[in-house]
Amino acid sequence: MSDSSRSIPIGKLLRADNSQFVAGCRVRELETPAFGSLVRASLEDQTDVYGLITNISINDDGLVRQLVSGVSIPGEYTADNRYNRNLPVEIHVLTIGFSRDGQIHHQLPPRPPLSLDQLFLCDSEEVARFTSHGYSYLRHILRLVDQPVEELLVAHLSQARRVQDSVGRPDWYEAACQRLIVLLRDDYPRLTQVLDALSELE
Amino acid sequence: MEQRADFSNDNPPIGFVTGGGLEANLQVKLTVPAQTVQEGAFVVMDSGTWRFYGLVTDLQLAAVDPNYASQLNSERFSPRLGQYLNQNTLYTNLAVMPALMLDRGPDPTTPEYATWLQNRPENAKPITVKTVPDHHAPVKLADAADIAQIFGTEDGKTIFRVGETREQGHAVCLNLEKFVQRSSGIFGTTGSGKSFLARMILAGLIHANNASTLIFDMHNEYGPPSTSSDTGKPVSGLKEQFTARVRLVGLGAGTDFGALHADFNLEIAYKDLTPEDVLQLGQSLNLKETTATTLDALQNSFGEDWFTAFMQMRGKATEEDEDGKRRPAADSVEAWANEAGVHVGAAEGLRSKLSRLMNRPYLVDSPASNGLAEIINNLQEGRHVVLSFGRYDSELDYLLVTNLITRKIRDTWEAATSQFHKDKKKEPRPLVVVVEEAHKLLNREMASQTIFSTIAREMRKYYVTLLIIDQRPSQIYDEVMSQLGTRISGALGDEDDINAVLSGLAGRNALRGMLAKLQPKEEVLMLGWGVPMPIPIRSRRYDEKFWQEIHKDEVAKPATTAEYNKRLGFGDDDTD
Repeated sequence: MSDSSRSIPIGKLLRADNSQFVAGCRVRELETPAFGSLVRASLEDQTDVYGLITNISINDDGLVRQLVSGVSIPGEYTADNRYNRNLPVEIHVLTIGFSRDGQIHHQLPPRPPLSLDQLFLCDSEEVARFTSHGYSYLRHILRLVDQPVEELLVAHLSQARRVQDSVGRPDWYEAACQRLIVLLRDDYPRLTQVLDALSELE
Repeated sequence: MEQRADFSNDNPPIGFVTGGGLEANLQVKLTVPAQTVQEGAFVVMDSGTWRFYGLVTDLQLAAVDPNYASQLNSERFSPRLGQYLNQNTLYTNLAVMPALMLDRGPDPTTPEYATWLQNRPENAKPITVKTVPDHHAPVKLADAADIAQIFGTEDGKTIFRVGETREQGHAVCLNLEKFVQRSSGIFGTTGSGKSFLARMILAGLIHANNASTLIFDMHNEYGPPSTSSDTGKPVSGLKEQFTARVRLVGLGAGTDFGALHADFNLEIAYKDLTPEDVLQLGQSLNLKETTATTLDALQNSFGEDWFTAFMQMRGKATEEDEDGKRRPAADSVEAWANEAGVHVGAAEGLRSKLSRLMNRPYLVDSPASNGLAEIINNLQEGRHVVLSFGRYDSELDYLLVTNLITRKIRDTWEAATSQFHKDKKKEPRPLVVVVEEAHKLLNREMASQTIFSTIAREMRKYYVTLLIIDQRPSQIYDEVMSQLGTRISGALGDEDDINAVLSGLAGRNALRGMLAKLQPKEEVLMLGWGVPMPIPIRSRRYDEKFWQEIHKDEVAKPATTAEYNKRLGFGDDDTD
């Protein structure tokens, strides 16, 4: 259920498919979304699609390229480009589950979000609720190719761990690590990478 | 009685079946730390309606990927992550040799249980394993009830406790009735506790009294008291503890057992010596091939008294005849040889070699009493005889005396059995002949000749079996070894010895490692026909406590003559 009074809106949907979507936002709105954060897209039929931010990209256009190759850029041009440009900052999100009628599912949603659906940053309570439902959503993250999976895991797990510790469930993190190990143990190079990254959290 | 209640093994599972089969062993993944399970552990696996019984024969360290095993994970990553990694990628596999299975029936709460109970034969026993448990069948250590189910519960008679399981200390018993039905062997290197083990088992046999025993006590270990090598304390011998049932016999007049006196002495008459006995000493006396012919001729000429007559002849004696020419004396070997048509040189050679025998003090022309007959009588009447060799402990003495006596036994028991088959009146008393240093009597060269290999191969039909005690089983003729029923072995180092103990038992290669790793003086492996399944055990200690346990069921011995008389029925009331 979307509770837009508490959640912070951070963008609107540009394009989407079943397993991932991209939202756009203005530069000003860029303070809050962070790599690996849990976000929520609210659909018209009261379904919420949950995802993790996997990439935040800022694209160039012809004007920026010209400016950059110039000798010096006056301050107001930089500000103007940053805050007034028409090309949005793109937030790439990996779908990891959805909720309908208050019930959380860690499967892919039946339908993706539509253009211009609102994207919200999840607060602690939502993070706690989503991650307490189980660990099967981790498989979506592991399915990623051409992406830094271990970085994403570290970012997400440190957020989730903080939240779970604060609601009095410190064993959540231990179980998440064990599940990751079980999922990846047949892929030694990949697991080593993930555990190297996670070791920094200790 | 609810069968299923017997199978309520409360031990926690230690793992589950992951693969393997009947040929190769079953593979089990261990879910507890590896050090809690040892090689030789007796385990049970439940699958369907069956309970499988097996022995752990190997433990192997394994990993999902060898890389996890070859690096120290808690140093490579954080200690906590390393620990999780170890828990989830490193494990131990057990190799379990399945041996027996028993139908437990379906769940007692289901309706099928009643039908199954009806169709079940009384006293169903475990059978040799013929199928495998399912994947993931839980594996548990056997509990006391499982051991009792397989090996029996100690009953103070023929089910004799020989030791306990190594990991949990449950009592393991030997069925002495089965034990004596076939020849058996006790093996182990010097210092492995073989003698104490033998003493313990002989005590059990004498106490159970289901068979008589004849013990050839080469080193005076069984009759008289001895000293425990663990504690240095004295331990009673068989005679002290079973005064009435055991007869101590000394070879030759004047042979004694230190402080103990012999019950009677054995002197062997010349006429008890047969050509067969002499031929079996071929190697020791360095007899030639012509010996058999010469002996045959002697028997033809002199019958039963051939040895006496032969010994009275003089070798190389000549005399003068009427014409003054030298000719062989009338009482010389040459004279007889010429008369009998035997090669003179052969006869003279044999005569000089046999003089070694004549010099044995226990071999006399007319002994004071018929010791041989008395031994045989005692055995037939159900008593036990320990024969000590005293100072006649050379190989020649050992070979001659054991063969001679055992041959008489063979003849007696064969006759008794034939009689029994005819009139079904008196079944012959089963007899166990206990032979030490068996490799001297049963090696390949001798085996075809000695009476012992005949006994090992054939005599169980005639109620006579062997109990071999030896430290070099590889020297024993393999045909004999493969006929042995029960084998109880302490630690063995030699590869050939290990092979010998396992010979004749199919699919027992898994046990080789176990035989080499037994703790000397403490552990033995029991296997073979008389034992439901192979099992390593911590053997029972042969000490004063052992004797207290053996005798605790018996009535206390009377202390005074008056009590004795009363026991026998001669009371104070003068009613003789």
